[in-house]
Amino acid sequence: MKRLLIIITALFALLTSCQKSDYEFDETPQGNLDALWTLIDQRYCFLSYKEEQLGFKWAELHAKYSEKLNPKMSRVQLFEVLCQMLSELKDGHVNISTSLDLGRNWSWKEDYPENLDTELRNQYLGTDYHIGSGLKYTILPDNVAYVVYESFSDAIGEGNLSDMIAYLRLCNGMILDIRGNGGGELTNAEKLSQRFTNENVLVGYMCHKTGKGHDDFSELQGEYIKPSENIRWQKPVVLLVNRSCYSAANTFVRNMKEMPLVTVMGDQTGGGSGLPFMSELPIGWSVRFSASPYFDARKQHIEFGIEPDVFVSLDETLAAEGKDSMIEAARQLINNK
Amino acid sequence: MRYLASVLSCLLTVVCSCAPVGAQALRGGPLPMLAEQTAYEPVPGRSPTARAFLLGIGRTNQLDTYLSPMEYTGTEVSFLMQSERMTKLAKRHISFQSTFQGVFTSADNPAETATYTGGRLAYDAGWHYNYSPFSNFNLKGGALIGTDLGFLYNDRNGNNPAQGRFSADVSLSAGADYSYRLGHLPMQLHYQADLPMIGLMFCPEFGESYYEISQNGVGHDIVCAHPGNALSLRQMLMMDFCLKRITLRVGYLCDIRQSNARDLKYHDVSHSFMFGIVRHFQMMKRK
Repeated sequence: MKRLLIIITALFALLTSCQKSDYEFDETPQGNLDALWTLIDQRYCFLSYKEEQLGFKWAELHAKYSEKLNPKMSRVQLFEVLCQMLSELKDGHVNISTSLDLGRNWSWKEDYPENLDTELRNQYLGTDYHIGSGLKYTILPDNVAYVVYESFSDAIGEGNLSDMIAYLRLCNGMILDIRGNGGGELTNAEKLSQRFTNENVLVGYMCHKTGKGHDDFSELQGEYIKPSENIRWQKPVVLLVNRSCYSAANTFVRNMKEMPLVTVMGDQTGGGSGLPFMSELPIGWSVRFSASPYFDARKQHIEFGIEPDVFVSLDETLAAEGKDSMIEAARQLINNK
Repeated sequence: MRYLASVLSCLLTVVCSCAPVGAQALRGGPLPMLAEQTAYEPVPGRSPTARAFLLGIGRTNQLDTYLSPMEYTGTEVSFLMQSERMTKLAKRHISFQSTFQGVFTSADNPAETATYTGGRLAYDAGWHYNYSPFSNFNLKGGALIGTDLGFLYNDRNGNNPAQGRFSADVSLSAGADYSYRLGHLPMQLHYQADLPMIGLMFCPEFGESYYEISQNGVGHDIVCAHPGNALSLRQMLMMDFCLKRITLRVGYLCDIRQSNARDLKYHDVSHSFMFGIVRHFQMMKRK
């Protein structure tokens, strides 16, 4: 009986043996900075690449920003210090979300010309354009299809795409304008890409972190775009892009660059090739970071954007005359083919 | 065919009786009062089944580093249905037990800025060898085969809002039953501990996204589970007692589910107060 009681007691003692998180940090400013630094150190997928490209050492940033802390600092001050530390990464997918503010670094678009005038764009669309879920489209006077897709968060159905292509099928070519598209659902990007190929196309690679080390990654896995089983576009396409094309829009541009009939025109895209994850700090603030990197078909990083096939910028003089130089260049390219 | 017809015509009669509480009842065979009062008699060789239906409420502590590095604490409500009967095996020393458990949890992070909502369904069944060194004391040990399906949802994580749970395992199980009287009141204490030993569980890789999981399928995210990477334990300490003709069961359920695989840690530790009734079923046939 005694032995039985000992066994039962020992089993109950296991109650206290449950494993703990690796992030045993307190709610002090230092605890929160330590937690954030460790989170990025272990889970951020571009650390080695960013250290090489941007010239910082993540290990050194811990001491640099710890010096800016003091135990009595306010939440606002702590937020600023933590955001400054994250800004070193220059990644639009890295944010601290609080009730105070959204910590961000949007230098990927804010440091460059916008190359988009939405009023001008609306003039090209006119008032009788079609709306197919997130897609707006019309036929320009020179028989060129003009399609605007402002966000990959706007769902597009197969029916929407089929109806749009059927409506535009007699046009000489298509201008697909995704300037200002900051991303959204990757599945929408994939679905749209499938309408522009007749065969499987290798568009890039992806991998994910398999451990806490900076370079612990799974093997690169090829990503293929399969042709849609529905109606597909068979004529020239000019894809208009700018620095605001980010995240899923950046991935879409990567996909379209591999399609034979597509010309990418405009400015370099904003980038954002890390699939984001979310986590949090002891103070309760939410943190977003890039967790799984995407590469192009040549296994190169596209985190800082993709160069267009043809660089064109928005001409302010022409804009004053009511003309979008980028749309005009795209029309010219299609009409000359 | 006649036999089948007679079996089909059997009635499952509910007996809320004080008398058959305990190991004696579990082994104890027929329920003579009922058989005499009706035109039915127990199916030969078929022992009564003790079936408990319990509801529980308790505290939970949850960690899932795929979703957050913070431990969430909150409330758990659960139900547990457990049935047990003696079989003819090993001279009626082996009992069969099955347990169906459902759990719903709601837990907050320490700063109370995010909430986990979780659910889990678990089923296990297996056999125990029973040994009674004393007339009122029964020891048992055996193995259970079980499966577990669940989810954990974080209301704030936009990109990785939920984690799925799946496991199938073989557990070692041990317990004891002790019958006694408190005055004229017959009572019985039950203790049981179940320790998963080997199995399979779903565990994504450290930074694997939903998109990749959906592209690659979940097959490569099924890993071997053993006490070295998934030391889990379920313990129940229950007390049965009679109130008029109803057998009531109250007790404590401690359920520790945890894993540490692919650099991802998970635990769900709950302590619940359980209460409910025990019913004793006897398969009957027409006399």
